[in-house]
Amino acid sequence: METMFGIAVDGVAYGMILFIISVGLSVTLGLMRVVNLAHGAFAMVGGYIASYAAQGAGLPYAAALPVAVVLTVLATLPLERLLYRRIYGSANELAQVLLTIGLTFVIVAGINYLFGPTLKRIPLPELLTGTVQIGSKAIPAHRAFVIVAGGLTLLALWWLLERTDFGIRLRAAVDDPAMAAALGIRTERLYLATFALGSGLAALGGVLGAELLPLEPYYAIRYIVLFLAVVAVGGAGSIFGSAAAALALGIVDTAGKYLIPSFGEFFFYAALILILFRWPYGFFKGRTA
Amino acid sequence: MSGAALLEVEGLSRNFGGLQVASDISLTLRAGDRCALIGPNGAGKTTFVNLVTGVIPPSAGTIRLAGRDVTGLPAAERVRLGLIRSFQVARLFRSMTVREHLELAVLQRDRRTFRLFASVARVAGLAGEVAELLDAMGLGAVASTAVGSLPYGQQRLLEIALAVAMKPKVLILDEPAAGVPHAESQRILDAIDRLPTDLAVLMIEHDMDLVFRFASSIVVLAQGRLLCSGTAAEIAADPQVREVYLGSRADAR
Amino acid sequence: MTMAGRTASRTGVAGAHPPPAARRDLGWIGIPLVAVAGLAAFWLLPDDLALLTRIAASALFVLSLDLVLGYGGIATLGQAAMYGTGAYAAGIAAVNWISDPFALLAVGGLAGGLIALVTGALILHAHGLTLLMLTIAVGQIVQEIANKARDWTGGSDGLSGIDPAPVLGLFRFDLYGRTAFLFALAVLVVALMVARRIVRSPFGLACRGVKEDPLRVSALGGSPKSYLVALYAVAGVFAGVAGALTAVTSGIVGLDSAGFPWSAEALVMLVLGGTGRLYGAVIGTAVFMGIHHILASSDPFHWMGFIGLFLIGIVLFLPGGIASGAGRLSALLSALARPGRDGGRA
Ligand SMILES: Nc1ncnc2c1ncn2[C@@H]1O[C@H](COP(=O)(O)OP(=O)(O)OP(=O)(O)O)[C@@H](O)[C@H]1O
Ligand SMILES: [Mg+2]
Repeated sequence: METMFGIAVDGVAYGMILFIISVGLSVTLGLMRVVNLAHGAFAMVGGYIASYAAQGAGLPYAAALPVAVVLTVLATLPLERLLYRRIYGSANELAQVLLTIGLTFVIVAGINYLFGPTLKRIPLPELLTGTVQIGSKAIPAHRAFVIVAGGLTLLALWWLLERTDFGIRLRAAVDDPAMAAALGIRTERLYLATFALGSGLAALGGVLGAELLPLEPYYAIRYIVLFLAVVAVGGAGSIFGSAAAALALGIVDTAGKYLIPSFGEFFFYAALILILFRWPYGFFKGRTA
Repeated sequence: MSGAALLEVEGLSRNFGGLQVASDISLTLRAGDRCALIGPNGAGKTTFVNLVTGVIPPSAGTIRLAGRDVTGLPAAERVRLGLIRSFQVARLFRSMTVREHLELAVLQRDRRTFRLFASVARVAGLAGEVAELLDAMGLGAVASTAVGSLPYGQQRLLEIALAVAMKPKVLILDEPAAGVPHAESQRILDAIDRLPTDLAVLMIEHDMDLVFRFASSIVVLAQGRLLCSGTAAEIAADPQVREVYLGSRADAR
Repeated sequence: MTMAGRTASRTGVAGAHPPPAARRDLGWIGIPLVAVAGLAAFWLLPDDLALLTRIAASALFVLSLDLVLGYGGIATLGQAAMYGTGAYAAGIAAVNWISDPFALLAVGGLAGGLIALVTGALILHAHGLTLLMLTIAVGQIVQEIANKARDWTGGSDGLSGIDPAPVLGLFRFDLYGRTAFLFALAVLVVALMVARRIVRSPFGLACRGVKEDPLRVSALGGSPKSYLVALYAVAGVFAGVAGALTAVTSGIVGLDSAGFPWSAEALVMLVLGGTGRLYGAVIGTAVFMGIHHILASSDPFHWMGFIGLFLIGIVLFLPGGIASGAGRLSALLSALARPGRDGGRA
């Protein structure tokens, strides 16, 4: 019983991290049709900035988090202008794969040059190191924080896409780019804003998830497959799809780690093949955004 | 004069959204037929070809090939049964040479494409047949040129050569002379003349000169409907056709 | 009309270049060149035979990717699934039943081909991103199975204890890796010849057609998917043999042999050398792993930064890889060398 509860909490927390990072990938993929294999590297950059801000510059966690997100966005925006813009569109998938793998390698090398190959931590504030009591159960405060943050991200994204002007234009452009352009929606600025949103989410997830997906230079390569899998199952551009797929993967994977013999990942990827076989655009495509 | 029915189309219909591009078209081609399908731009001629060849599914109607119902068969299957079309806009493999195109067509026709370890250059009888096809279309000089760097007129000739290479039972040519210099269009007619007389040819064409030289019968399509059909002389004399077809052609120009 | 302009300019282009078919006929030279270069390396670098052996086996793997991508247009990030399957199949067979090196290669090739045939039939209906994801997923599953079937594969510790018998009963796999390298080089050269045969066969021609325009192929009566599945399976045999070759020559098989990074790396090496040329796979692998070896001995990350910049540069400036750059350069030079003739024709 206790393990089941532990699995549930850890699994949901892990799933939320996967969600926050993957949904950023999902949004850019949905709108710009770009397979951004460097997305994991963006998350890693966010994590490293936060780590440096907290340990090197002595900022509190509450300040390091937003600083990391903003700086990551600022650092990646020039990439959109210089590199990504040339490879948008689904006809370019090979160029996309190569360019974003190349970018990933460069970022991995750069991070290692700046911070070295050792594991980096983002020290948690005291508030997040203890446990919180929910009814009779105690759960680690950090896990609770991550779960709440993931839920808030989901709500905020829903609000952004369903209720704001930006969201309306974004959905219009996803549905029919030519029509959106004809209606005077400035796709260039929309792409830039969406790209910023994507890398901001990556950075947020990278910082929040540093306890679960430890920061080291190979982070960028190690976890990108997970993020891609979430997007493929959730459907490009679908927020709730990403959330459902991420939670499923998080729980399955965590359960696999606790329970022996574990075939968690195996089942996830088998499910992925079956799902993509049956629904080539993702299981949840078309329900939202 | 007319042989067995090779292609029988009955009640073929299709709409794109609200636009009825084919409504209740029926048409029979018999062995030896040389039929021209004419009609103003946007009449639905290419759509009709796409429906018959299985590129797009019809909303109603049946298609029979040599007596066999092929309405539900995929395009490639119909090709294997001898229903061959050429494309209005040349649709070729840009990086492959002219010769390679014809080799592929002949190999595909003979179902010899799953030979993994034979050299194309040494497949028995292939080189000779390809050389004949090249000659017939006057493409011998550019045989080793990649199609992407070929003048458009020659691409069109290759398009026809590919269709001919398939040894069709029913051949549908969608505006074979469009984009071909006038001097060269005779080659196309010659190539068609050389085809075995027992196959059926349906040619879509705007060039009335060509139509009258080629066709023994003419079918007129306008706004997705069959307007009328008859011999070349009958159609030429038909005031309704002059009105609808030539009238709107004059508008379009 | 625009037609006239197009016609004229295209005639000009056709005049400037030799027909590609004539150029491709010289392709066979690449194969003896690979053999000669390999033997030269054998004499010149006797201390690096382990690296050279790895390069030869990896080149065979990248060659399998070239068959799939360069001749079928299938973008995949899961080619290591076939390599890993072949490596484990050969490794397991070697540990338990068989020791003849050629028999082990056959086992690897068979396993790689089978897994490619089955998964290819399952996933090759998809395109683009979906296909990319499916190929990744297949790789992950293979890796996960290898990870979980510890009793057979050694799990994350890797499979060791592969001790192949002498080649042809004559040449022992010696301590210095001489036999291993010559064996790997011979297998690579033979594989290149077979691959060249295949791409110039009727089947290869049809696959090139599918790569360019699948719908046109079905208008000729062919079924694009069955060509792709067959090609995927054939390439799977090559990848499986490559995996088995690595297992036989190195004596160990690790989980990373089926991993996503290895698939991605193969893609990088192929693009480096140029797709659709066969020997581009060998050039790319040799350059990649050679420079890797030199730079990585100081710091592996310098190497990553270098190759990353290189990849970005290739996508932005040289979409056909190194070989195409050389091809373009020589075309440019020959065009410059005879301006009079071109001017006369245009
Ligand atoms: N996929 C499609 N979706 C919607 N409308 C289409 C589609 N294909 C064709 N149409 C429309 O159907 C009508 C018939 O087109 P079609 O190409 O069959 O004409 P056509 O007789 O071949 O004309 P042309 O002489 O110019 O070749 C046109 O109005 C065209 O715009
Ligand atoms: Mg038409």
